[in-house]
Amino acid sequence: MTKAFYITAAELAQKGKDNIPDELLSAKHLIYSSPATLAFNSPGAQGFGVKRAGLAVPNSVMLLVAPACCGRNTTMLSAESGYGDRFFYLLLDDTDIVTGRHLTKIPKAVEEVCQSLDYTPSAVMICITCVDALLGTDMDSVCRKSSDRAGVPVVPCYMYALTREKRLPPMASVRKSVYSLLRPRKRKSDEVNILGYFSPLQEDCELYSLLKGAGVKKIREISRCESFEEYEKMSQANFSLVLNAEARYAAQQMEQELNIPFIELARVFQADKISTQYRLLGQAIGAEFDDSAYYEQTMALIDDFKEKHKGLCFAVGEFSNCDPIEMALALIRYGFKVAEIFGTVGERNFGFVKKIAELSPETKIYSNLSPTMLFYEPDERVNVYIGKDCAYYHPDIKGADFNDEIQPFGYAGVKKLFCDIEKALDRKGAEDK
Amino acid sequence: MKNLLKLLSPFAPDQSGAAAVLYELGGLMVICDAGGCAGNVCGFDEPRWFTKKSAVFSAGLRDMDAILGRDDRLIEKLSKACEQISPAFTAIIGTPVPAVIATDMRALKRMAEKKTGLPCITAECTGTNYYDSGSEPVWTELFKTFATESKPVQKGRLGIIGATPLELSIISPERIAAEYKAKGWENVICYGMGSTLDDVKNAASAEKNIVCSAAAVKAAEYLKEKFGTPYEIEYPQSCLPEELVQKADSFADKKVLVIHNQTAADAVRKLITEKSGECHCTAATFFMQKKELSQQGDIFLADESDLCDSANDNYDVVIADKTLRRVMKNFSGEFIDFPHFGLSGRLLQGESEKI
Repeated sequence: MTKAFYITAAELAQKGKDNIPDELLSAKHLIYSSPATLAFNSPGAQGFGVKRAGLAVPNSVMLLVAPACCGRNTTMLSAESGYGDRFFYLLLDDTDIVTGRHLTKIPKAVEEVCQSLDYTPSAVMICITCVDALLGTDMDSVCRKSSDRAGVPVVPCYMYALTREKRLPPMASVRKSVYSLLRPRKRKSDEVNILGYFSPLQEDCELYSLLKGAGVKKIREISRCESFEEYEKMSQANFSLVLNAEARYAAQQMEQELNIPFIELARVFQADKISTQYRLLGQAIGAEFDDSAYYEQTMALIDDFKEKHKGLCFAVGEFSNCDPIEMALALIRYGFKVAEIFGTVGERNFGFVKKIAELSPETKIYSNLSPTMLFYEPDERVNVYIGKDCAYYHPDIKGADFNDEIQPFGYAGVKKLFCDIEKALDRKGAEDK
Repeated sequence: MKNLLKLLSPFAPDQSGAAAVLYELGGLMVICDAGGCAGNVCGFDEPRWFTKKSAVFSAGLRDMDAILGRDDRLIEKLSKACEQISPAFTAIIGTPVPAVIATDMRALKRMAEKKTGLPCITAECTGTNYYDSGSEPVWTELFKTFATESKPVQKGRLGIIGATPLELSIISPERIAAEYKAKGWENVICYGMGSTLDDVKNAASAEKNIVCSAAAVKAAEYLKEKFGTPYEIEYPQSCLPEELVQKADSFADKKVLVIHNQTAADAVRKLITEKSGECHCTAATFFMQKKELSQQGDIFLADESDLCDSANDNYDVVIADKTLRRVMKNFSGEFIDFPHFGLSGRLLQGESEKI
């Protein structure tokens, strides 16, 4: 019988990043959209896909201009997330997708959408899909015409699944779109933007305290902007912190157009790396961050957890708020066993693979998207998981989905991880009794 | 403005309808897309995805594949997956991407069959049509491809054609099998749901076929022509909502509007006639209408503005998926919910608990 393809960390490290097996590269095989992967392998699927992300601009609405199939899953998004009154659809027919005649209908559709509302939206986000990617549509021009006709800003959002591995993939592009309505303002030295996510960082994230300790009075995230006026104030920030690489292009755009520089931090779960990042951030902004108390609290929490839960063996997946390769490395360095990783390996995280190969050479690496995952059989050594994809693969064990909308970051993120796992294991303990 | 939806979300598209027919039959299905369409099919339009594994994959097309028409790469990936999975057949389902670049699906079929040595079913879907227009040619192609041999007719063997979650809002055939077994049929085969490819191959053995969706009429006609199997168009009563069955005897003097697929609407008409002796019922649908089931005054709804115009206070009762209620601003009578998965993604009561 066929088995799910995997490679050990040692084997993969030995092959090197230029010889990653085809089974781990989604461009080289058909893609399996198992229940484990639905949330992240399609740009319009669950979670913050392009459609929902485009509505991050407060008080905006979205017009999806596409064949009906592209808007189908929005039924679920509308029902479950309360977006029902903010989505509109201009459906294309067979002639439209061949001739592009739908482009002439968009300004009227935008006007009609605005007239149907009992308020004036801050913007109409126009979401277009693979059809227009292939037609080479000049959406900027269509948006200008639509804006002139409807009297509101109209912004394109490109849900081009076809360009997922390009320089500007859909989720990076939509971040540019949602910040494109900002206009230059006089900057204020004590205001900072946090870019990267469409929902806020956890309230107890030490980044807020560290920045405030350095004299920052106002920290803005788009998800915490309750009005368009508040959103517009993001253009007066002294600098932006980019916490997700997909926001880099948006930050570059803000640097060019609004003169707001940016600093990039990565979300990592190795405490010493978090400390290093804060030290470098402090140097960059001319402040000294004392994060020692946070570091010590975090390490103490991990030590207590280890003491309480001996013999844990993890599976780590990518349907979670982490890079599973880095997360696995963090766990291994904290002294845990990691038997399986379900993730996407690339240049970005190959360095972590090499370190895992040194510390835990037998750790197995799977690709969620490989057709062979139809035949996946759980590794019996695994007794705890991180990631909702792992919950699918290991239905009989406990763990943390760790994919809340509120975003974990820094030491607080590490602490949240172990608290979530602790809760899951305590629930299991209670059930076993 | 036509085709502008201000209150509803789009209904299940043709590629979902095509995939639903083949889902349980042991084939390897490739949605010819970049990822999003397969995500929609699996994550939203196929509730069995969460209970029953099936080899449904995305082609993972990228812009240069489409621009350069690199069909050979797709066939290479398909062939590699066949080596890993050993399916009984392959299927390639179209989406807007091959529609825009005018992919020759017949050529793809030939290439796939030559490379894998397996039968290949292709569906020329565009993503612009509804699920029923995707299902219809696939039902026919399925029987044409696999039900090729005449077999002795087995008394008491009943074939059900057209059952998919999108049409009947169910995920397994128990209630249908029970209904027809209660009517005296010993062996009820619900094609594509709780049955196998061998059942399709043995389609000639059926004493009779029941066609439960308009999209399956052509396939039943083919089987009648090929093997002489008679058929009847009938939506299973066991797939009607309980509330409707209980209230049907009180609609004799009421004007009723049923909005659903055509076979379901017809079943409601029959139920009301049977229970209350007479029926003033109009059937309306967004989906395909067959002349065999049409009655004078039936309504075809092109989009939500048609529905807004049609569902007014001329009717005492409206029976439809409750998702449509928000469009019926001019209606103040009694509303009875009749879930329609292909429209709203909602299953009948008792079905979602199986997931």
